[in-house]
Amino acid sequence: MQSYSRNNIILRVNDLKTYFFTRRGVVKAVDGVSFELRQGECLCLVGESGCGKSVTALSILRLFDSPPGRIVGGTVVYNSTDLASCPDQELRKVRGKEIALILQEAQSALNPVLTIGDQIIEQMKIHLPLSTDEARFKAINLLREMGIPSAEDVLNYYPHQLSGGMKQRVLVTMSLCCDPKILIADEPTTAVDVTIKAQVLDMFHQLKTKRQMSLIFITHDLAVVAEIGDRAVVMYGGRDVETAPVSEIISAPAHPYTAGLLECLPDLSREMSRLNSIPGMPPDPSKMPPGCTFHPRCPKMIDICRTQEPPLAEISKEHKVRCHLYA
Amino acid sequence: MPDKDKPLLEVKELKKYYPLTAGITSRHIGDIKAVDGVSFSVGEGESLGLVGESGCGKSTLGKTILRLEEPTGGKIIYKGTDITTLDKKALRQLRKEIQIIFQDPEASLDPRMTIGQSICEPLVIHNIGDDREREEMLVWLLEKVGLEPNQASLYPHELSGGQKQRVGIARALALNPKLIVADEPVSALDVSIQAQILNLMLDIQNQMGLSYLFIAHDLSVIKYVARRIAVMYLGKIVELAEREALFGNPLHPYTEALLSSVPTLIPGARKRVLLIGEVPSPLNPPPGCRFHPRCPHVMPACRQEEPALIEVSQGHSVACHLHRS
Amino acid sequence: MNERKETAGKDRAAFHGGGFRLASYYWQRMARNRLAIFGLAFIIFLALVAIAGPFFTPDPTEVDFEAKNMPPVGFTITQSVYDIKTDQFITTRVSGTWKHPLGTDRKGRDMLAMIVSGARVSLQVGLLATGIAIIIGTIIGVMSAYLGGWIDNALMRFTDVMMTFPFFLLLVLIVFIFGPSLAFIVLAIGLTGWTGTARLVRSESLSLRTREFVMAAKALGASDGRVVFRHLIPNVISLIIVIATLSIPGVILAEAALSFIGLGDPTVPSWGIILEEGQHSLTTAWWVAVEPGIMLLLTVLAFNFLGDGLRDAFDPKSNV
Repeated sequence: MQSYSRNNIILRVNDLKTYFFTRRGVVKAVDGVSFELRQGECLCLVGESGCGKSVTALSILRLFDSPPGRIVGGTVVYNSTDLASCPDQELRKVRGKEIALILQEAQSALNPVLTIGDQIIEQMKIHLPLSTDEARFKAINLLREMGIPSAEDVLNYYPHQLSGGMKQRVLVTMSLCCDPKILIADEPTTAVDVTIKAQVLDMFHQLKTKRQMSLIFITHDLAVVAEIGDRAVVMYGGRDVETAPVSEIISAPAHPYTAGLLECLPDLSREMSRLNSIPGMPPDPSKMPPGCTFHPRCPKMIDICRTQEPPLAEISKEHKVRCHLYA
Repeated sequence: MPDKDKPLLEVKELKKYYPLTAGITSRHIGDIKAVDGVSFSVGEGESLGLVGESGCGKSTLGKTILRLEEPTGGKIIYKGTDITTLDKKALRQLRKEIQIIFQDPEASLDPRMTIGQSICEPLVIHNIGDDREREEMLVWLLEKVGLEPNQASLYPHELSGGQKQRVGIARALALNPKLIVADEPVSALDVSIQAQILNLMLDIQNQMGLSYLFIAHDLSVIKYVARRIAVMYLGKIVELAEREALFGNPLHPYTEALLSSVPTLIPGARKRVLLIGEVPSPLNPPPGCRFHPRCPHVMPACRQEEPALIEVSQGHSVACHLHRS
Repeated sequence: MNERKETAGKDRAAFHGGGFRLASYYWQRMARNRLAIFGLAFIIFLALVAIAGPFFTPDPTEVDFEAKNMPPVGFTITQSVYDIKTDQFITTRVSGTWKHPLGTDRKGRDMLAMIVSGARVSLQVGLLATGIAIIIGTIIGVMSAYLGGWIDNALMRFTDVMMTFPFFLLLVLIVFIFGPSLAFIVLAIGLTGWTGTARLVRSESLSLRTREFVMAAKALGASDGRVVFRHLIPNVISLIIVIATLSIPGVILAEAALSFIGLGDPTVPSWGIILEEGQHSLTTAWWVAVEPGIMLLLTVLAFNFLGDGLRDAFDPKSNV
């Protein structure tokens, strides 16, 4: 099942901190997140709204609005370059070419006044020394690979002529046209219907198995994580609270938040009479509670949680958790 | 005492078409058949789930039942009276009996009204109680949905999404209705908040003996809240069954595909049926069975003849030529 | 009608104190915009000047024969004056004095007094004409959106016709026929200037009408009147305030432009009238034209800044 090799780390994010300096105060959107992406695996960043998962993804390519956003600490190491601190010029060579990003809203990510073909071919010619005909040929092949049957016709369509699922495919095609090593997808399954969601998940699965692509998959849905992920980073309040292989996250969650999240998820594969729910609500990123950010909602809270940030504890080599119960 | 056997709400062959016009003469060029001949019933204290993908007409159906949209054809029988012909005055009385909870808690509250004003609005409209009684009712309602009484003077922008949805529920409960149409009440909420709201709705149903028509696109949510479930596709109900029967033994190929598409925590429990293509436009639904262009079991008959919704076993109806006998 | 008023009053009474907090929320949002605060401060200052100023300055029609074409304080100019005794033109140097801080015009009228009374006229024209336009526009816009159907069609076609009419030519025509009276000018601007408001209010109401809270009110059994007065109008008021703020400078400028081409009311010293007189003596007394010009510029800027600030503060999507 797990085809990735353990030592082949392609991207390493270490203690990343991205703050937004707004007039109303400092929003610590990402406040110390560490993980590594291995060659050929699908790593899921999972959490609720405001947990910092999207900002983490944007921080890897420094694509958040700046100002007010700024990376105030940590490193993002790719190919022995620190993307968090390298000059813009160097970063631009990585963006799209080495690491591609698919944004959340498929609707607005495509320019409505250009045909799909124009947009894909333009993207290719920016990064690759191709003629228009060569680029066109490559685009058609890529679209076919993504499961779009009449690729030649689709190239002449405008975005509004495509359905949500098709747009998602076109976006993935666009991000693949420079053969990136890493693909970051931000909630690609959120706004689509169930049957389309299955198609999109299937497509990502193909990418992983056929192209050996390394994926960072951002979602709020643990069931989607279970379907597609190899390993998962559970995020809460701007921090990575638990990192483990997906099977372990689902079957033996260590952090009280992960456990709570699983218990409050209605799921077809389980019988349940009543859902457990986590009391309270996720914290406002501009007013994070002190200590462990989860402590106001945590059923297993102890005194130390209120004041001290929990350190990263190792349950096993592959399973890390940020909680005082394991420290 | 109401008759146990008589359903609270009976919908018969309900249709809602949106006419499409063109040119300055407003020439009629076709209909968008959002709801096209739907029949079902909801019993007292029962919760019926209505599930389908976007554009299948489930939301339109919910709004038509409240007559927020005027039906094009068919009957809506509530407690034995056909409410499709009620005049404005009688309709206002009906509002006390049937209420709605909306999908987007942000949009369903007037941004210029406090929470208290919003919750008390139904009481003001129907002239129920004086100031003091309303205030008592308000406190009771706020507690019922898990809000603090002192939050009554807050504005919607001062609340979180989950809290706003609690306000929406409190407002729907204020008139002590018998039936609540819940139109995707949790789809805009975070997972941990979603569970809170679902539990709240179930608790309220137990305490007040309400009936729900629960509309959702998420089968996992529907499975949790609804005892009986209707699956809609392109304006029609394709399958209607008890929860256990539907999830254990789905008969319609669309239901089967839908169930297999839902991502689950334990993958591989169900063999995945990947549907090809997308839902066709309701302006030009395919002839015969509307699902036939995407159906893996399509037969010649499906292209010509529209299958009727037939009860194939006790309480399990399906509209499919595979299950005609 | 009566019942509605009563009930509306009741549910407001039960939860008092909320409106103030809402206002202070919008104030805080707007206060982050410095230009808007500058605009507001200037408008308040101008309003104070217009209200209280005339009590402290001399009568603007009073003529000081001793001091014609006096420059403002701090400026010295060379003037050639006809001297009766010697029957010659003599050249003298004249400096501004504190008696006339902003100087005088060629008739010897005090500029400060004229500017102050001009402020009163210009603000009056701006507020009154905008008020008329906003009321007509709001009524037509809300009616059009809420009633829909053929009423909507008829009202909007009427608006289209009004819009295609050359507004300024119409003004000129009215003034030409009825004579240059300030009341007519205000009425004419008000009665022709509502079209933009009507369109904006209609489109806003249309989008509000489909918002879920309006549907929720209907689902609760609210009457049409309640939906319009309790839900639609309170929610378009923010838009109306913004339109009003942004259209006041246009009205003030329109009046000034009319005066400038000689169609203003000569009995009332508006800034436009002063400006028009100043253009004849630009070479000898530049300040007569420049001073009302600066006031017009500052006023228009102030209203525009305030309008922008208000729009951002009211817009739930903008993140100020």
